[in-house]
Amino acid sequence: MKAFDFVAARDSRHAVALLAERAATAKVKVLAGGTDLLADLKFASSSHAPDVVIDISRADDLRHISMTGEGLSIGALVTHTEIMRSPIIRDLFPALVDAAHTIGAVQTRNLGTLGGNLVTAVPSVDSGPTLVALDARVTLLGPAGSRQMALADFFVGPRKTALKSDELLTEILIPKESVGKPAHFLKLGLRKGQALALVNVAASLWVDWNTMTFVAPRIALGAVAPKVIHATAAEAFLDGRAITADAMAEAGRLAVGDAKPINDFRASAEYRRDLIAVLTKRALEGAFELAKAGHGKRAEKKQ
Amino acid sequence: MTKVTLTVNGETRSASVPPEMTLLRLLREEFNLTGSKLGCDVGDCGACTVLVGGKAVNSCLMLAGQADGRDVVTIEGLATIERLHPIQKAFEEKGSLQCGFCGPGVIMSAKALLDENPDPTDDDIRDALAGNLCRCTGYAKMIEAIQAVARAESARPATKSA
Repeated sequence: MKAFDFVAARDSRHAVALLAERAATAKVKVLAGGTDLLADLKFASSSHAPDVVIDISRADDLRHISMTGEGLSIGALVTHTEIMRSPIIRDLFPALVDAAHTIGAVQTRNLGTLGGNLVTAVPSVDSGPTLVALDARVTLLGPAGSRQMALADFFVGPRKTALKSDELLTEILIPKESVGKPAHFLKLGLRKGQALALVNVAASLWVDWNTMTFVAPRIALGAVAPKVIHATAAEAFLDGRAITADAMAEAGRLAVGDAKPINDFRASAEYRRDLIAVLTKRALEGAFELAKAGHGKRAEKKQ
Repeated sequence: MTKVTLTVNGETRSASVPPEMTLLRLLREEFNLTGSKLGCDVGDCGACTVLVGGKAVNSCLMLAGQADGRDVVTIEGLATIERLHPIQKAFEEKGSLQCGFCGPGVIMSAKALLDENPDPTDDDIRDALAGNLCRCTGYAKMIEAIQAVARAESARPATKSA
């Protein structure tokens, strides 16, 4: 690894002050869990290597998981293990727990953070699809204050985000409209452990129980486009439609057209297209099963 | 240089190191604790697994500076001069290792698992070892050994064990 200056930030404001001070004149990288960054640094050619590393791993103001008036707020430094163990996330968003569980192995999940996973922004980012399917937003803190945007827009391309060089990702917000929304995440890799996704898919939906129709259906696809995408044709097809097995299967077929999978050494584009159709259908089925279970519980309570 | 002070296997240790030094290299090169192995050096193989704050991490993916003030346990922290740690003893009895290179990492992952979950299923053990690659013996005898430790611990009357 090439030598660099190492500066530890006390909290998010200190980190942004350090960014403002150093990013104008030097190549700066922010270090959170380090599971992506350190591996990258060991391979980086000297022209890509940073001059300064700002360590935010002790910025404890970025470690919360809390319900606010705006929705469920998750601090950028929350680790994948912490997501898996959070009672509130296990209760409201089991799909986020499932997604976190597919990231790396125990050692990676103990260090790696949600914010880091999103900022690295590989197309197969396993935290991405569920959050995009829940219309999650991200908060970026810069010298002039904070701004928010949809996570789907934060992702720009492979390893590219809308984050400016003097900004810090501080928070992931699942908006109150999506709190408790039934969602399901599925990933297929070449192995069960420590495998990158060939395809990962998340679906979320509300149900109108009077008409048995889809309300606000969302499907997000990872690893089959330059970034995590909404399967917009499939979403539009399902919106307001009667919930049937045929409709879910048709949404799977439409989702294939929304994606642009590539051939690589892990799988052919053709195989990935088949996976999109099957996994999308199953993700919708999984979300609907969860919706039914929740509906049953609420009906019991009323009696 | 970065000044680092941390607890390693119960002892306070300090060193002044270049900022780019990893925790693994700090342990091996500054403290001469060479039990933790340098395998892939990018977080795939798990040979460098140590416990930081009780959690299994890849010490190759943590800067020494990030471990400042933390409590680190390495494979050297398990056995005493008199006896092996129960997990080490079980690995010996079951013949769970062949070349042994992955052993320190596997055993630290097993310790982290059993500390949190004293009665794991085989699937829990597989999940806990997914980040530790063994290319000799495979995993069946490791799982047997870890189950043997769990069963022995649960059979014991309620005394505190290390």
